[in-house]
Amino acid sequence: MKTLVLGLGNELLGDDGVGILAARRLKNRLDGSIDVVESELSGLALLEHFIGYERAIVLDAIHTTRYTPGTVVELGPDDFDTILAPSPHYSGLPELLNLARQLDLEFPKKIRIFAVEILDPYTIGESMSAPVKEGIEELIHRVEAQLRSWQEE
Amino acid sequence: MSRQIVIDPITRLEGHGKIDIFLNDEGNVDRAYFQVPELRGFEKFAEGRHAEDMPQITSRICGVCPTAHHMASSKALDDLYKVDPPPAAKKIREMVYSAFYVEDHALHFFFLGGPDFVVGPTAPRGERNILGVLGKVGLEIGKEVIGVRKQLRDLITLAGGKVIHPVFGLPGGVSKTLTQEDQQKFIDGAERAVKFGLFCLEIFNDVVLKNAQYVETIISDAYTHKTYYMGLVDRDNKVNFYDGDVRVVGPDGKEYTKFKAQDYLNHVAEHVEPWSYVKFCFLKNVGWNGFTEGPESGIYAVAPLARLNAADGMATPQAQKAYEQFYETLGGKPVHYTLANHWARLIELLYAAERLKELANDPEIIDSNVRTIPKNIPEEGMGVVEAPRGTLFHHYQTDKRGVITRANLIVATQNNAARIAMSVDKAARGVIKEGKVDDGILNLIEMAFRAYDPCHGCATHALPGQMPLLVRIYDSKMEIVSEIRRD
Repeated sequence: MKTLVLGLGNELLGDDGVGILAARRLKNRLDGSIDVVESELSGLALLEHFIGYERAIVLDAIHTTRYTPGTVVELGPDDFDTILAPSPHYSGLPELLNLARQLDLEFPKKIRIFAVEILDPYTIGESMSAPVKEGIEELIHRVEAQLRSWQEE
Repeated sequence: MSRQIVIDPITRLEGHGKIDIFLNDEGNVDRAYFQVPELRGFEKFAEGRHAEDMPQITSRICGVCPTAHHMASSKALDDLYKVDPPPAAKKIREMVYSAFYVEDHALHFFFLGGPDFVVGPTAPRGERNILGVLGKVGLEIGKEVIGVRKQLRDLITLAGGKVIHPVFGLPGGVSKTLTQEDQQKFIDGAERAVKFGLFCLEIFNDVVLKNAQYVETIISDAYTHKTYYMGLVDRDNKVNFYDGDVRVVGPDGKEYTKFKAQDYLNHVAEHVEPWSYVKFCFLKNVGWNGFTEGPESGIYAVAPLARLNAADGMATPQAQKAYEQFYETLGGKPVHYTLANHWARLIELLYAAERLKELANDPEIIDSNVRTIPKNIPEEGMGVVEAPRGTLFHHYQTDKRGVITRANLIVATQNNAARIAMSVDKAARGVIKEGKVDDGILNLIEMAFRAYDPCHGCATHALPGQMPLLVRIYDSKMEIVSEIRRD
């Protein structure tokens, strides 16, 4: 089973780099059978990353102000149904999945998204806020647990 | 008629764009404002860093147009160290840049802008997406779009090191030569890109231009502004993305001024409005005259339509033909229709493909001399390129060791900001009547700014990619009557 761990975000935007940093740490902890990729792209431009994988875990930052910063939020592709393609410019994963299905691309059947609630995505700088930094450990554990549960299937 | 649609924010960031529409007693539009969130701290972040790192740092700001920042920054370093890269280095840079243009413009047309025209501006929103586009033009085309993009991105990686954040630009040249084998790959990719470019224009012709209703929308007053236009031109005043002088034409289409990147501060000034974080660029020597159009207002546009207007033609044969057809169809130069940007973008895609082919076939492209070593003491450097979304300036000042003391970027969307604000306001006035607002009408307003392919991250100095949008409509008592989120 080819499995992808994809870290998203922008390291230059402080907290927004959380997914990237977690991916980098995971790369050192996971065995070589899982591909760990970092990407600063978003939306449909991500399509090419997923092609050829059967399972994928996406690590990302999320800014809802509903959760305490550092909280790890887990989402599946079905959670995106409510926002299906409201506008082509801001479309994301749901469209990506639909497109892959329509074009019959070799796309992951299973996708889980783990996102960390962040504090400040608007200041350029490489340092992350303390609660988000603390959230990384939890994020990594959740990813490893997900990978284990897939392995046991 | 109070209406509120709440959509869970599951996008990457909540930094949203915002359109506030104020209605008068009759339910018509009093004023519409378009706002984007501010991104702070770029200048401070750059200070104290080595100038040589700027092509990497600035390209990492944005996940959308990294190659454009990389090129502008590399050129600013050439100027900082007063070095002229060898011909092969310039050609390699332009070739990589052309490949980037084809794939970026293709992404916009098929995924972002195309749904409005290929599917239809007021089609149900569930269909206004890439799948809707492919439903009209065929699934095979979807595979070709993905295939061409992949091939071109692989080429950029081959020459540039990393596709998302290229690492090959250095002061005075590039870090890597190309082999004959590499050259062949570029030639193959270019052949495919030219065919693809011609094919895109064919689609536009068949699906958009043959539909009278679409053409009517394109040329309607709601999407028209008579402003100045800016773009880079080569020695023959033809469109150039990588190098040349900045040329500005007036609302009458005649040359207003032409200047070198180093002189930009003498020509471009910034205006601040209390309701927006974006600084609105205007032509200094014309002056700021509010959000108005015409020769007395310094507001100008950049991006595909502006580039075509600011030039006398395209430097490659098939793109030139398309350029001529464009102006014949739309009533001569200049074209003031904002929505014509979509067509102009495809003409540019074809030009980029043809230019890619020319450069790939150039024997000098595999020359081993790709670097002029800088020897001068740095002080100040300016670089300019045409990013897909418009003119992009990088300006650095350093100490004698080459450590940045001041950095300033003027990005495409800042150049366009004033005209975009006017476009949103005018479109809102044009389509909202007697308080009637629905999804189709809102889309007609969004189309006014989507045509510019704005990258708001960058304009406020940079959010990667997606920008959710919040639309609020207020009645004359300033109460919200409708609020729609689009993620």
